[in-house]
Amino acid sequence: MTASTDTSILLLRLAAPLQSWGENSKFNRRETRTEPTKSGVVGLLAAALGLERGADLSTLTGLAMGVRTDQPGTLLRDFHTVSDYRGQPLKQSGVNAKGIQRPTTPAKYTHVTHRYYLQDAAFLVGLAGPPDTVRELAAAVKRPAFPLALGRRSCPPTQPILAGTPASELLTALSSHPWQANTAARAGHLRGTKPAFVHLPVTIDDPAGGETRQDVPITFGLHDRRYMQRRVRHTTVQIPTGFPEPDAAETGSSVPPVGHDPFSLLDW
Amino acid sequence: MAQHVRIDIHILQTVPPANLNRDDQGNPKEAVYGGVRRSRVSSQAWKRAARMRFEDRIPKQDLGTRTRKVAAELAKRLKARTSLDSEKAARLGTAVLAPVGIAAGKKAGNTAYLLFVGNRQLDAVVDLVADRADELAALDDQALEKAMKDLPVADQFTQNHPIDVALFGRMVADIPALNVDAAAQVAHAISTHAVEAEFDYYTAVDDANENDADPAAGMIGSIGFNSATLYRYASIGLDQLHHNLGEPDAVLEAIDIFVDSFARSMPTGYGNSFAHRTLPSLVAVVVREDQPVNLVSAFENPISAPRGGIAERSARALAEEQRRSIEMWGDKPAHAAFAHAFGPETEKDLETAFGAAVTITELRQGLLEQLRGYLSR
Repeated sequence: MTASTDTSILLLRLAAPLQSWGENSKFNRRETRTEPTKSGVVGLLAAALGLERGADLSTLTGLAMGVRTDQPGTLLRDFHTVSDYRGQPLKQSGVNAKGIQRPTTPAKYTHVTHRYYLQDAAFLVGLAGPPDTVRELAAAVKRPAFPLALGRRSCPPTQPILAGTPASELLTALSSHPWQANTAARAGHLRGTKPAFVHLPVTIDDPAGGETRQDVPITFGLHDRRYMQRRVRHTTVQIPTGFPEPDAAETGSSVPPVGHDPFSLLDW
Repeated sequence: MAQHVRIDIHILQTVPPANLNRDDQGNPKEAVYGGVRRSRVSSQAWKRAARMRFEDRIPKQDLGTRTRKVAAELAKRLKARTSLDSEKAARLGTAVLAPVGIAAGKKAGNTAYLLFVGNRQLDAVVDLVADRADELAALDDQALEKAMKDLPVADQFTQNHPIDVALFGRMVADIPALNVDAAAQVAHAISTHAVEAEFDYYTAVDDANENDADPAAGMIGSIGFNSATLYRYASIGLDQLHHNLGEPDAVLEAIDIFVDSFARSMPTGYGNSFAHRTLPSLVAVVVREDQPVNLVSAFENPISAPRGGIAERSARALAEEQRRSIEMWGDKPAHAAFAHAFGPETEKDLETAFGAAVTITELRQGLLEQLRGYLSR
């Protein structure tokens, strides 16, 4: 985006028992992506700043975003039913020509919905922007106007959320922050080995990237929820684990990844 | 929005073998946290339980009901307050809602949305037309529609939200004016420790089976269950609630009722099979001026207690997490208090984190005292 001299990075640690990052699911099946979406993170920052629904989001969507997966978590499907408080039949989801929701025929009393969550996941999200903007956002995240949530209101984040505001490049910031995985996740990832480094996947905004995501919000207004695309690329970063290098005297040797990870070849 | 005052509620509650909140397989909901399986009760389940408790607690004119019979309700009130007959009252009740865009449904008296409207709001709408009811009822359809256009009906629905709408929000997709952002945030409750999924295999025997003619069971099946010490967390934004309710007195009443109902309510799933109703062993309220802080990370490393005492250890872990968060960030809460059912040792430990140990009544009073100060500024 811009030269490293005039950008700061807002680093956020997004971790909680549950998170949910929907991209384009509608109606009764609400899916989640495997990592935070731009709309989810922009929504979190907008809540921190106290922006009203329908406010202009261009300042926030203009920040380049990178996501590091420190703890991928697993998928949870929540079976969630909706019924009328008074035991009356529900409405059809569509409206007729007059814009009226007709009651369901035959009367249906319960909607069955499936909401997907990521459980036990932790991410490090970096947003690159002008130092003033980043400072303002960092202050807002510490004293948010509206409660923050990880993609859904029932997913409050655990503390700390703010992981720093280094003045550097996005990828540099994402590769120099310590590994955020909890004890159990570390043990599961390392499987008894003691490597000096782990390789963590990173997805980063890149106009020349090979993949598109349809998750850049234009507005959160209830009537006009539209999303633009962004391009991203995948890479990995090497993060120290705290274990000593097997042989520090050896120079120039690249550190082998932990175990056998076929996806690392795919830059995944 | 100068102050960002938050009321965080932390609850530890031990539940015996039970199945409070099931998935589509009929088993208790679960989640993995800290690498181990936990029992889970979804936020929507507990919110509903809390809302059902409001029924008993809130004076009638404050209770929002999720009803599609707004027009019918209006008609009933019009009939009671004016000299109109049923038919005319029904017509007027429907007409008054037309400019808001709450269109009449197919069945007379049903409006087209599941509205979460307070009785107080319905009364306010009736106030708008009650004095001129006869004159309005005599108009033909077109003239009536025109007369209604000038009335501030929509304003009545967007101001003075009843307590439960103000707390839990309302969404009517097609009429943004009716939407209310929830002031309360409720997390899914999860167990502080690892749980096993257990199954109760049962056989039902037919008592009328004479002389053992048929030596088989009449029915067999299994019920999934688990028992857990749950960590429950909710947070209320004072500003948002003030914005939703308007009156400081209503704000205080709503918070008081929410704290009490959230603490005492429980989902009722399989209640008759497990008789699982318990009361929390710890209720802590923390008023913060910076941000809500969910302390679930206290249990990321699951609590284990080889010889009992999971609830007690959970309480200590929670106190430890609260102390750590205050030490690390230097954010002293503006107010904290807790009520508990543990021994003196644990009480001391909790006092270092959550202020004074009080009864639940004192806890509610102290909280309201603190909040009154904010609202009177």
